[in-house]
Amino acid sequence: MTAPHVFGIRHLSPAGAWYVREYLDEADPELVLIEGPSDFTELIEDLGGSQVKPPVAVMAYTQELPVRTILYPFSVYSPEYQAILWAREHGCKCRFCDLPSDVFLGISGSREMRRQQAAGMTGETEGRISEKNGREPGEGFEEPDESACGGLGKEKRKTDMRAQEESVYDRLDRISEDQDHETFWERTIEHAADFEGYVRGAASFGQSLRELTLAAVTLSGREKSEEQRLEDAENLLREAYMRGEIKKAVEEGIPPEKIVVITGAFHVAGILGTGAFQDETEDYVDWLKEEGVVLSEKEQKRLPRLETRKTLMPYSYYRLSERSGYGSGNRAPAYYELLWKGLCLGKPDYAANRYLTSLAVFQRKHGNMASSAQVIEAMRLARSLAELRGYGIPALKDLRDGAVTCMGHGNFSEIVLAAADTEIGTVIGSLPKGVSQTSIQTDFYRKLEELRLERYKSLTADRLSLDLREKLTVKSRKSAFLDLERSFFLHQLRVLHIRFATLEGSRQEKATWAENWTLQWTPEAEIQIVEAVLKGDTVEQAAGFELKTRIEENDSISSIAAVVEEACYCGIPKAMELAVSALQKSAVDAASITELADTAMSLSVVIRYGDIRKLDRTPLLPLLSQLFLRACLILAEECICDDQAAGNVGRAMNLLNDVVVNHEFLDEKRWIRVLSKIASRDDLNTRLSGLAAAVLLERGQMVSEELGREVERRLSRGVPAELGAGWFEGLSMKNHYALIARMTLWEKLSDYLDTLSEEEFKRALVFLRRAFADFSAEEKDRIAENMGEIWQMNPEQVSEVLNGGIDLSEESDLTEEAGQQGDAAGAEILEGLEDFDFDDL
Amino acid sequence: MENQNVQRLPAEQLFQKEIDGLIANEKNPVPTGWRMSPKSVLTYICGGESGGMEITPKYIGHRRLVEIAISTLVTDRALLLIGEPGTAKSWLSEHLAAAINGDSTRVIQGTAGTTEEQIRYSWNYAMLIAEGPSKRAMIPSPIYRAMEQGAIARVEEISRCASEVQDALISILSEKRISVPELGIEVPAQKGFSVIATANTRDKGVNEMSAALKRRFNIVVLPSPESLESEMEIVNTRIAQLAGSLDLNAKLPGDEVVEKVCTIFRELRAGATLDGRQKIKPTTGVLSTAEAISLLANSMALAGSFGDGEITAQDLAAGLQGAIVKEDSKDKKAWEEYLENIMKKRGSRWLPLYEQCRELNQ
Repeated sequence: MTAPHVFGIRHLSPAGAWYVREYLDEADPELVLIEGPSDFTELIEDLGGSQVKPPVAVMAYTQELPVRTILYPFSVYSPEYQAILWAREHGCKCRFCDLPSDVFLGISGSREMRRQQAAGMTGETEGRISEKNGREPGEGFEEPDESACGGLGKEKRKTDMRAQEESVYDRLDRISEDQDHETFWERTIEHAADFEGYVRGAASFGQSLRELTLAAVTLSGREKSEEQRLEDAENLLREAYMRGEIKKAVEEGIPPEKIVVITGAFHVAGILGTGAFQDETEDYVDWLKEEGVVLSEKEQKRLPRLETRKTLMPYSYYRLSERSGYGSGNRAPAYYELLWKGLCLGKPDYAANRYLTSLAVFQRKHGNMASSAQVIEAMRLARSLAELRGYGIPALKDLRDGAVTCMGHGNFSEIVLAAADTEIGTVIGSLPKGVSQTSIQTDFYRKLEELRLERYKSLTADRLSLDLREKLTVKSRKSAFLDLERSFFLHQLRVLHIRFATLEGSRQEKATWAENWTLQWTPEAEIQIVEAVLKGDTVEQAAGFELKTRIEENDSISSIAAVVEEACYCGIPKAMELAVSALQKSAVDAASITELADTAMSLSVVIRYGDIRKLDRTPLLPLLSQLFLRACLILAEECICDDQAAGNVGRAMNLLNDVVVNHEFLDEKRWIRVLSKIASRDDLNTRLSGLAAAVLLERGQMVSEELGREVERRLSRGVPAELGAGWFEGLSMKNHYALIARMTLWEKLSDYLDTLSEEEFKRALVFLRRAFADFSAEEKDRIAENMGEIWQMNPEQVSEVLNGGIDLSEESDLTEEAGQQGDAAGAEILEGLEDFDFDDL
Repeated sequence: MENQNVQRLPAEQLFQKEIDGLIANEKNPVPTGWRMSPKSVLTYICGGESGGMEITPKYIGHRRLVEIAISTLVTDRALLLIGEPGTAKSWLSEHLAAAINGDSTRVIQGTAGTTEEQIRYSWNYAMLIAEGPSKRAMIPSPIYRAMEQGAIARVEEISRCASEVQDALISILSEKRISVPELGIEVPAQKGFSVIATANTRDKGVNEMSAALKRRFNIVVLPSPESLESEMEIVNTRIAQLAGSLDLNAKLPGDEVVEKVCTIFRELRAGATLDGRQKIKPTTGVLSTAEAISLLANSMALAGSFGDGEITAQDLAAGLQGAIVKEDSKDKKAWEEYLENIMKKRGSRWLPLYEQCRELNQ
């Protein structure tokens, strides 16, 4: 026998990981070939390192858009990982032998294109970062064929065109005793009693799978679809390539029987060429030399390729379980690790015992009762459930049902958190520093060092206050702007959603030079950083890419302006330029006043901040002028609205005013003209007219007499009460002190109230109450003084009423007193005021 | 047979053939005190085939729950079936006992008036006074008998019993023996002894079970049927069995009728249409599958006694009205809303039923 040893596995399988070592011990090879992109071979050295703590993953990604990725996760119970460790321990060569990642992604790219063409679509319609789903964890490498192996973790793909086709796994779900292929796997393969059992189980599984898909002419009685035929072709291609790798090794002088190939059970027959030999006696090596058995160089050249990069990255059990959905063995990574430990310890029931006790411990820790008796009962029930099916060792399903019945009072919801913790777990892998880091990781760590942020990379939260101003006391330019650079960097991380730094609200409002951050490192952040490599090679580039994506995805000007702002925070001039030009383009389109105001505000902030952030803001100036002009032109018309909309328009007016105040280059005169117009027109929402008057007043553009005239006009007899009071409400939205100081205003208000009939007064009251709601107690005191003076009453008494908190008898006293003074109107007002204040204080 | 005129035969007599067939074809090991293997019990309850004989399913859907229930009894733990009214708790408990022991009659029917004696043992007082305490004067409870025989006793509606009565079960279940101090004896439970209790989660006037008692049970919560299809299957099977034993001179309801009843019940129960698109005001009643069954039996009786033997929309409407609109006037409004908003818009297939229902609901 001169054929190589081929060991069929299931990925992420503890039993496979355990028996693969036994198999390797037995075969004692010189070379171990592992199914996985052959260009990943260079990472094996790092992957097998003693400081590597799985789960870790190898990721390959294209640099061109749309970014495509393939991901190969390894956990401690991955047979591939154990094979790599074995090879390392025994000084044996070890390589990956599947198609290189650039071909994988090339194929996936061209298939996608085909699919889109078939669907009559053109251009990139899918996300900008598309994952090559075929190589997701779980579907991983064993199940190459999607339609065939779809089920083993491919629920995701059901969304596409193969949705209607029943996969082999669906069928297995339907006909297996447990109605679940995952449990079927666990029972038949993971709990295999010995090496023989595992090998036989995996072999027959792989063989049947092959017969049902690749070798089958029809699937579920139907013709294979185009998609499925492509899938088959890809499988055949991969197997031919793997044979080529074996041939290469043989040519290097390694005897075939000293080669072990670790591959998905599905591929065993393909690699060994079962049934393909011309006659029984033909030698394997000779067979390899035949035409068409391995890919010729010419054929290899014709394969589609996309340039890729690859990296090792830490991974987490949570991701393993999350990505796979139904996933092959990933649904419960922490439980599978228990199975693995059980194998290592030689205790077949270790996982079951450990699982139930962990559940109980979790329950107790979280204040739920879970006695040892319950654990024992759950164990007995799980065993008896397994026995009902004829198995000796309970599977996860039995254990969980036992726990639900005995510990959860029949409700899964009672133990669901404990189950998640025990089945999925929180394990996050790690790689030693410096081990094949992605460019972005390297950049991240370099930046940390450069910005002296390293000490913040700890698991406890630390606060960091930044002063963005230039430090004049230090000599080097670098340290003078250290805090600014830090701020840029942290903002970039924030934009990338990397959970390391959170921005806290600054205590001193509008202190543009101060920022407070909270920094806390999580292992999850490491994964997020690695994933950000898909967006760029450095943190800055990635943030730039992210901002660019946001610009392309948004078309409202205010959201693009928000990107301008972000770009400014991140200190990425290029992204800012892009955003500004995008903004210019869409600024031509019609936009509402609130949109314009938000945008103007964003730009204004950038222009103000930009100074401290050393950014060139000149391109923003004309843009802001343009937007501002537009706002001036439409503001008056927008003021024709109901009270509900008036709130937003009012906010816009305030924002715009803020903007004008801060930038001299804007046409202030025009702004004043617009405001005056709004203040004087009678056909607009009176609250807004009032607000405009208030703004003018604040800016000293309305003299006292003018205000007096206006008050008189607005609050004159005949004007409906709600309009008058609404106007007053608008007026009192701003500069309370200026209003309080103007005695005439209050006299006018008092006079106005006197003229109202009872019915009108009640209506006016609603608006007046609202107007006064914003005043502070102190301000109310001062109004009370004013009113007291007007009504010739004791200011303290009025204030007391205004600020509430009096009992009923006092109230009547007051009223009486007021009555005695013969000022009936005053009493009425008092009553009214007291009315509105009860709620507001 | 003399039993022919019994209103309702116990399960073991009703399905005696199937039980005998399963016992005859037993291939798996049988636990002590059991008449067949756990696997055969599963087949008996969930249906299947044994030695060429077809076994009708007694409990449809949720096979896994039945597995858990059987496994519980294998481990000699007591089993507590909990669920809303009409989720086949007692049905399942009866059939489990019938299959395991061939006798489902050792049952305590729990009420507010159940006493501790009924759980343990009581006395024939005439004899007690005449002879003094003796074995002859003692009346053992079903549980007592089950312990002696190594069999399963059933406690129905355990949550209706007063808590001190429930408490009496605690020590029986943990120590597995009853002591009779009057006679100075102690009766240990034989292998195979267990208790199946059922409890209701929804009915009012129910005593909360103590945690101590709950701990002694493995609890299985029986849900409402998963899908319309499985509910229809349950209804169809049960109606066919009932029609035989009740001598209803009517044809079995067609699939369409069953589908309509199940649809209405499911929708009112869930508070949403089956496709989940529309919200529905639910009624106060429980509207269990059991009620759907009795409603259809009722309609069949109406059709058989006063009609031509075929269920008409009118018969059905009368049944629906009675089942859905209980004493509460709110139900009437909810039902009317359902009629107008949902049923009316379902097209001609539902029109006759809609019209009859509307007329009755006025």
